[in-house]
Amino acid sequence: MLKAPFDPVQLAIPFFVLAIVLEILLGRFGKAKANYETRDTAMSLSMGLGSTIAGVVFGGVVFATTVGVYQHRLFTIPMTAVWAWVAVFFLEDLTYYWFHRLAHERRFWWASHVNHHTSTHYNLSTALRQTWTGGVAGTWLLWLPLSFLGFPPAMVAIQKGISLVYQFWIHTEAVGRMPRWFEAVFNTPSHHRVHHARNPRYLDANYAGILIIWDRMFGTFIPEVDEEPCRYGTVKNLGNFNLLHNVFHEWVGIAKDVAGAKSPKEALGYVFGPPGWSPDGSRDTSHTLKAKWRARVGFE
Amino acid sequence: MIQLGGSVVAVALLVAFVRWLGVARPTPPLDAASAKALLDVEFPDHRPKATWIASDGAGLIARDGELALVLYKRGDGYVARDLPWSAVASLKPTSGRVTVRVSDARPTFAVSDDVWPPKELA
Ligand SMILES: [Zn+2]
Ligand SMILES: [Zn+2]
Repeated sequence: MLKAPFDPVQLAIPFFVLAIVLEILLGRFGKAKANYETRDTAMSLSMGLGSTIAGVVFGGVVFATTVGVYQHRLFTIPMTAVWAWVAVFFLEDLTYYWFHRLAHERRFWWASHVNHHTSTHYNLSTALRQTWTGGVAGTWLLWLPLSFLGFPPAMVAIQKGISLVYQFWIHTEAVGRMPRWFEAVFNTPSHHRVHHARNPRYLDANYAGILIIWDRMFGTFIPEVDEEPCRYGTVKNLGNFNLLHNVFHEWVGIAKDVAGAKSPKEALGYVFGPPGWSPDGSRDTSHTLKAKWRARVGFE
Repeated sequence: MIQLGGSVVAVALLVAFVRWLGVARPTPPLDAASAKALLDVEFPDHRPKATWIASDGAGLIARDGELALVLYKRGDGYVARDLPWSAVASLKPTSGRVTVRVSDARPTFAVSDDVWPPKELA
């Protein structure tokens, strides 16, 4: 099957809206920790709406490419088999982990993904703050090997949707910790708070989609510690509430740096180096920020 | 198209709902203690020798040698930027406000008198 008969994300939208309303009310009546700021929420929701439009615009190219790859598949995997769903669950989640890690550790892909991280809040509306430029960044190419293996494009699309829907509920401060066994295996509000934090201690961690096991396996897991509450946003927070600035600021930053680069090597560094890379090391990357933090806590 | 229109309305309603019942973080006017705490978090590698707090408490400018450390309010939080002290020193307050130019914003600060730079930083 090529085209998915349904889209989990579209089906979940009414639930998203109700859950956000509920979280706002819980915060209002002091039943749970939930902060909402008007302009911050407006930006998150506008980003969500815009990203679905961008998804339609790029959807044709993505779909055609995926089908093209599927036509040259190695195996034919039946969409009706339980084992196939189990396999696609793990393989899609592993793909997501590497996509997400790349999206943080290399500036070209960060330019698109940073959009998700610019809120200084962490509530359910933050989950809907999705990029508009993922199609341009081309990270969707990373899912093509699944189609090449022989997973039907519809199956991969549905699993991607399930992952996105799963990740909605973990964007909250209303849930402290889940049971220990759950925290060990699954991505949770606690793990993903760390992922959205700008504290040096927490940078570049917890890239998981549904399963946190990948971070534990590949050494990127950092637990949330109660002594250091998460502060949300990016290392250098946005200076304004301009929607288009949020969408394009890192792309503009790359263009400016490349225009001022003194050699092709420098230009490549600005585009594909870690966010914050500079030829003379005068800017901060998450590595330098972590090193400075370690030095500070070591001395104090 | 109908779906898009519906989505725009839904977003507008939710934003209105947040405006009505949403609980933002409290941001009381800065005092010496909260200003120091904010500077420690946002500029941990600087030891500013002097700090000026805007007269409405909604921002601050600290000075570390030739560098001005600026914190201004955005929504219910603060944004940190640094710029050369000379760029701040040469500003001219008008009708009780002074506007600083940073890369992606032009925050304004309330000044009690039109003496600039403020005596705390001079
Ligand atoms: Zn991320
Ligand atoms: Zn997230």
